[in-house]
Amino acid sequence: MKTFRVLLAANAKQFVRERAALFWTFVFPIFFILIFGAVFSGSMEDVSFDVGLVMEDDSPVALNLSAALYQIPAFQLTSGERDAELQALRDGDRRAVMIVNAGFGESIAQGQPANIDVYYDPTQTSSVQILLPIIQKVLDNFDRALSGTAPLIHLNEETLQSHSLRAIDYLVPGILAMALMQLGLFAVAPIVVDRENKVLKRLGATPLKRSTMITSTVVFNLIVAVIQAALIIVVARVVFDVPMLGNWFVLAGFIFLGTLTFLALGYMLSAFARNEQTLMPLLMIVQFPMMFLSGIFFPLEMMPGFMRPIMDVIPLTYLADSLRQIMVESQPLHSHIVNLGVLGGWFAVCLILAVRFFKWE
Amino acid sequence: MKAVVKVDHLRKSYKDIKAVNDISFRVYEGEIFGMLGPNGAGKTTTMEIVEGIRKADSGRVSVLGIDVRKNPRQVKSNIGVQLQTTSLYPRLTVAEVMGLFASFYPRSVSIGKLIKLVDLEDCKKKRCKNLSGGQQQRLSIALALVNNPRVIFLDEPTSGLDPQSRHNIWGIIEYVRGKGKSVFITTHYMEEAQRLCDRVAIVDHGRIIATDAPDKLVAQHFQEEAIEFELNRKLDNEDLSTLAGVTNVIQENGKVTVFSNTVPATVAALLDLAKQKGFELTNLYVRRATLEDVFLKLTGRRIRE
Repeated sequence: MKTFRVLLAANAKQFVRERAALFWTFVFPIFFILIFGAVFSGSMEDVSFDVGLVMEDDSPVALNLSAALYQIPAFQLTSGERDAELQALRDGDRRAVMIVNAGFGESIAQGQPANIDVYYDPTQTSSVQILLPIIQKVLDNFDRALSGTAPLIHLNEETLQSHSLRAIDYLVPGILAMALMQLGLFAVAPIVVDRENKVLKRLGATPLKRSTMITSTVVFNLIVAVIQAALIIVVARVVFDVPMLGNWFVLAGFIFLGTLTFLALGYMLSAFARNEQTLMPLLMIVQFPMMFLSGIFFPLEMMPGFMRPIMDVIPLTYLADSLRQIMVESQPLHSHIVNLGVLGGWFAVCLILAVRFFKWE
Repeated sequence: MKAVVKVDHLRKSYKDIKAVNDISFRVYEGEIFGMLGPNGAGKTTTMEIVEGIRKADSGRVSVLGIDVRKNPRQVKSNIGVQLQTTSLYPRLTVAEVMGLFASFYPRSVSIGKLIKLVDLEDCKKKRCKNLSGGQQQRLSIALALVNNPRVIFLDEPTSGLDPQSRHNIWGIIEYVRGKGKSVFITTHYMEEAQRLCDRVAIVDHGRIIATDAPDKLVAQHFQEEAIEFELNRKLDNEDLSTLAGVTNVIQENGKVTVFSNTVPATVAALLDLAKQKGFELTNLYVRRATLEDVFLKLTGRRIRE
């Protein structure tokens, strides 16, 4: 027991004294969350478009329209002369320029269709995709108000979840799963380095049992996994208000099982690598497809069909799915039982292969 | 005297290479026993089998009366080991590594005293990656002593070290022997074997070709002394071997070693020959025969070419 405690402490000291390990374990996943969170959580209120408005008509109708446009929070309106505003558009200072032509009010008063010109840069896809529909909708509303007809059909937006699942809610449990995968896979690296430096051989000349050594490494990594998970959950909660809706014990169970599975996978892979230089690319080759084909960053339905078989095999898909269900009550891909079974199967197979093929020298 | 290590008819092959080919020897209580031989002679393999970290193909090994094959862990608890290559835990400090190793054993000595013994007090809080070669080597010897073992195995303990560090380590090894412990070392340094070891086994091609105290080994094979000099041209061995008192002649790259049982007569004859044939003798000196000469005589080559 004393041996175990001292080994655990030695593991911890070595870990905290290696900046790279600290970065990849704790800083990197948080970075991911912050960056993706900032990208995905931007709602319309936060985005504003610089729009130029050229009023060549001063009828009351035109002034009303101008006032309506000023009400739109997504528009940062600038009034000006036609030539100056169009030049500003060319210079990239405006995303669009709206021109209310002379005679606008007169046409409406006579019951004739009136035109408003919108200039935009088609290479700015966001202008086309977001701006034009907004402008169209504003004009429709304005049109209806003028003609005095009420809209007959109203679209009610409702989602299946009891609460709405934002992109960031979907993402955070996936990032947690990814972080656990990296922790588990790369945990074998120090052992491969120790093997290369003959440290394992030196330990073999002491009465230290291999089982004690392995157990201390595994327990240490489980402790790191818990710290890592706590950090991710807290940051996601504080910064993006991502909830943790499920049972903490079930969550901890999946965190442990996930870490164990990837530890075993890492140990198994290390059997095929003579040293750190060959191990690292091997781990990369395994981790990258898992990152992108496990539905962490986007739902699996978005992936092309021929990739489905890969997605249905890799363990990260199942870990991420369960973590997502537990934390944010997302739509399950599979039941917890299926996820548990697949992860457990991976763990068992990797463990057997690792025990069989892991080389101590 | 009591044998603490008994090795009988040890054999170990890798594919078709016989790394250890029927080796038998004893290490006695309180002695420094050395295996001397070139790289690849089978020294390290032999030592690692005795330490219980490698399996023999056949043969019997017992350490402190314990059968290594049957009870490797019990043997490991009672011996101290230093391996040839040592780069231990770069991010742990000297004191931390010692504490870690101490925790592996049922009993251990005081870390503080051990650090003092190997003269690492100034760097006990230093991380291992920042130690010099000599300091690392002293640390790994300290680790071999952490469980207060009765037998200590040191594989090439001074390999690649400067003379100062080498002498430090010899001092530690002699101190350890002074405490009544047995030390088994391997080396390919003649000087180390001659100066440090109570008994030396000369190993070549997986076999022990001679075992005895260094002085006795030399005395057994050489009654004569060696006259060494350099020549500016090549002479026939015949010209030299017929000189008064000469028993053996070795010429290597202009360097000549002549073994003689009557040194004054040989030197006089040599100078005459030089005058007569008109060649120049430089760097002439006379020395006693060494283990190196014994190895050369027994195997026909030097330990390091």
